[in-house]
Order: sequence, then structure tokens, then C-alpha cells
Amino acid sequence: MTYDRTIAIAVRVVREIVRDRRSLALIFAAPLVVMALVGFSFSDRPDTLDRVAPALISVFALLFTFMLTGISFLRERTQGTLERLMVTPVGRGDVLVGYLLGFLVFAAMQSLIILSFTLFVVDVNYRGDLWQMFVVLMVLTVFGVNLGIFASTFARNEFQVVQLIPLLFAPQIFLSGIVLPVEELPGYFERPAEVLPLTHAVRALQEIMLRGGSLGDVLSELGVLAAYAIGLLTVAAVTVRRT
Amino acid sequence: MLDGHDIESSTNAVKGVTSAVEAGDLSFSYGDRPVLNDLSLTVPQGIAFGMLGANGSGKTTLVRLLAGLLQPATGQVRVLGHAPEPGFSDRIGYMPQLNALYMSLTVRENVDFFARMYGVKDRRKRAESVDSVLDLVELADRRDDRITSLSGGMRQRVSLAVALVHAPPVLLLDEPTVGLDPELRATFWEHFGRMTREGTTILVSSHTMDDASHCDRLGFLRDGRFIAEGTPDELRATTGSTSASLEDAFLHLVRTGVHSGNRVESTDRAPRS
Repeated sequence: MTYDRTIAIAVRVVREIVRDRRSLALIFAAPLVVMALVGFSFSDRPDTLDRVAPALISVFALLFTFMLTGISFLRERTQGTLERLMVTPVGRGDVLVGYLLGFLVFAAMQSLIILSFTLFVVDVNYRGDLWQMFVVLMVLTVFGVNLGIFASTFARNEFQVVQLIPLLFAPQIFLSGIVLPVEELPGYFERPAEVLPLTHAVRALQEIMLRGGSLGDVLSELGVLAAYAIGLLTVAAVTVRRT
Repeated sequence: MLDGHDIESSTNAVKGVTSAVEAGDLSFSYGDRPVLNDLSLTVPQGIAFGMLGANGSGKTTLVRLLAGLLQPATGQVRVLGHAPEPGFSDRIGYMPQLNALYMSLTVRENVDFFARMYGVKDRRKRAESVDSVLDLVELADRRDDRITSLSGGMRQRVSLAVALVHAPPVLLLDEPTVGLDPELRATFWEHFGRMTREGTTILVSSHTMDDASHCDRLGFLRDGRFIAEGTPDELRATTGSTSASLEDAFLHLVRTGVHSGNRVESTDRAPRS
């Protein structure tokens, strides 16, 4: 790992996104609009919203992060800059970690916006510490960034990345406890639900938000998420196409 | 220019290496479609070698194999004595057919970024290299403009600057003059001529005979192999006419089908003049 090159790639990614004012505005506005809509739709049922908020925060944080990263990284390939980068002496690991750090700046902001807006504007009740919820969301965000990079290594254009969204997200939304608690799912779905990363993120956030738990109580959930994040980036480093 | 200057004493030649590029029995396919067939190539240091051929003849695939972006199905590639693979060397400058630039960044930011990727860590040294290469491609006055605001020809020049910024001894340029006006094309070749005199080896893919006339040696690519290879004069001489153009030579070689031991099919398809 070469620190100088990794940082240079991250700075370049940040600079490019900052220069694209319209995308930048959407990065910040879209989560606000979506969470405001969620707040309005549950305005007559605040208790229900309190219960489903951890799941909604998790799924939207993951979705926005995935889209930001997946499409941005794919653009590197389609415009030929990734190919050009791969001819330089930069290692694939350096390239991917550089992108991870760059995208993470905006993905983290999106996640923070989603969490803060839900807690303080939509006014969802919560018990645990705010910073501990943020830590859970950051681990989920790192996973989301790596999922986006990983998925874009298999796509040839933006359309294909978008098509991957229902494939990757529908099972997680239905099986991770967002629609029904995992315990209430049919027996044959329980085991698949246990291996889905979003299940662990939702469970960790529920523990802290709804039951006032701490990070110490959700270490195993965070461990699974972190393992997924590292695993995806490692596989992406091997499978990333240069052209 | 071939053998016309002392390679060992040239500033950008690599000592202890006889050839800049050596490739033997190279084959490559995209799925079931063969692109290169038992292609062999040796390029000495300090010359401009032109890979000429029609669209689809395998030029870009060959450049990508030499850059390490693709791996051959059979055969071997050596660039300055090493097998190319991604990230293998800072000794190659690569200019792809697409401009491959970060559109929202400025000219300077693009060139500086790639200088850093090639390992030029020192900020002051990097700034000097960037300034020098932007002077070379005559874009110093546009250094703070974003790529989106540049014309196609200017983007080509930035792309060339990116390939040159670390002063590599070997340059792989995939159709670098496509879309350039005649004046700019002449300027590019002036730069290339100066670089080869300083010991840099330049491999250029092209389908124009104007580019071919500037090269020290040429290989005519047809159906994934070189049907002929030599200096422009040697290739012209194959027609038996002293006034023949390189296009005449290409068509003659394609039609007669035999040169340098390579058999070819007869056809009228020729690169553009």
C-alpha cells in the first residue's frame, strides 16, 4: 500500500464530485426528501415509526451509498481513466482503497444526514447514544461503498448497475427485518436472513436506538458487517476489470 | 532516424537492454473471435515504430497487450526486458484511444495526478515536470481550464501530456493523431521526432499513411499479424516503383500476399491516406 498514491486518488475523487455542483446538491438533497417523505407518511403513527426507524435508516443509507459509489466507479471504467490508472505502477489495492476513502467522505455525509434528519426533524424517539448509532451507520456505509465498487466491476454500463439494485436490495429489504421481524418470517427464510449484511446492520441499530444498548452489545453484528466490507473489497481488487 | 544516433549515449534510453519491445508468437482472442495470430515483433530502442492497419486489424489489442492491460493467449511480450502486467513499470507512457481524462478537473490537475501515480512524489519536481510537458504540448496558457472547456484537439494534447509527464523511455500511443488538424499533427510528430533522438522508443498505432511517413520503421497489420515490416523506404521498394506511396506499398503487399515470409489474403481494404 502506497500512502501517497492512495491519498491522491481519494483527493481526486472528492475534487471531481465537488466540481459537479448538480450531483453534489442531489447527494445532499435526495436523502432529505426521502426521509421527509417517510416522516410525513408515518405522521399519524409515531409509535410505528419509532419501531421501523432503525430499519429505514439502514436501508436508505445503504441504498444511497451503493448508488453513489457504483455509478461513480463505473464511470471511471467507461471513460477509460481506470484503464489509464492501471498502466501506472499503482497497485489495485491502492486504487480501490483510494476510491473507498474518496467516496466515503460523501457517503458518510449522506448517512449522517439520514440519521440526523430522522432523529431531530422527523423526531423519532431513541434511547442509545447518538455517536454509537453513527458508528454502526459508518460500518454499514463502508460496506455500502465496497458493495458499490464490487457490483460495478461486473457491470458494463450505468443501466446494468441500476438493474442490480432490485437484485441486491429486494432480498435484504424483505428478509432483514424491515417488513417483518426475522423471527416471524417463514422458517426456510430464517437462515438466508441471517447471512444478509443488512439484517446485522438493522439488528445493531435497533439494539442501540430502541433498547438503549451500546456498541459492546452489537460487536458480533458489526464484525459480520466489517467482514463483508473487507471481503467485498478484496474480491473487487481481484475481479476489477481494467477496460 | 534509425541507427542515426547513438542510443547508448541518449538521455532517455535504458542501458543494458537491446530491444525496447520484443514479442513472439502472440495470439489473442476476444471469445471465439481471434484478433492476433502468431504475431512477432522486435522494436529497437530510440525509434518511432508505426503499427499500421485498417480498423479491426488488431492495433489497439496489440497496444493493450504491450501495456499489460491484456494477457496473450499464447506467446510472450517483453517491454524493456520485462513481462508487462498492470502496475509493472513507470517506464511506459500510455496514451489510449479515448482521451481518458478527468473531465471536471483542470489540465494541470489531470497531468499532476498522473505524475503522482507514476511516482513523482516531490511536489516541486512534479510541478516542474507538469509545466515542462504542458509547454511541450503548447497548453501552458490553458493549464487552469477544465477539460470540459477544451476542444477535441486540446484534449488529445492533454492526453499526450499525461503519457509524457514522467519521461518514460517507452511510449505506447494508440492512434494519437486521430481528429487532429494537419498543423497539430505535424506538431505532434515534431515532438515525437525530438523524443526518439533523445532515446525514447515510440510505438504508434495508426491507420493513416501520413503518420506512417513519420515513422522510422513500420509494421503493416492485417488480420492480426504483420504482413510486412521495414523502413518506409523498404516497404515502398516492394512495389518496384521509386515513386510509390506507402499506401501503394500496403495495397501491393496485401494483393501480392507475400512479404517477409508472411502469407496474406488478397483484398482491396487499405488504411486511410
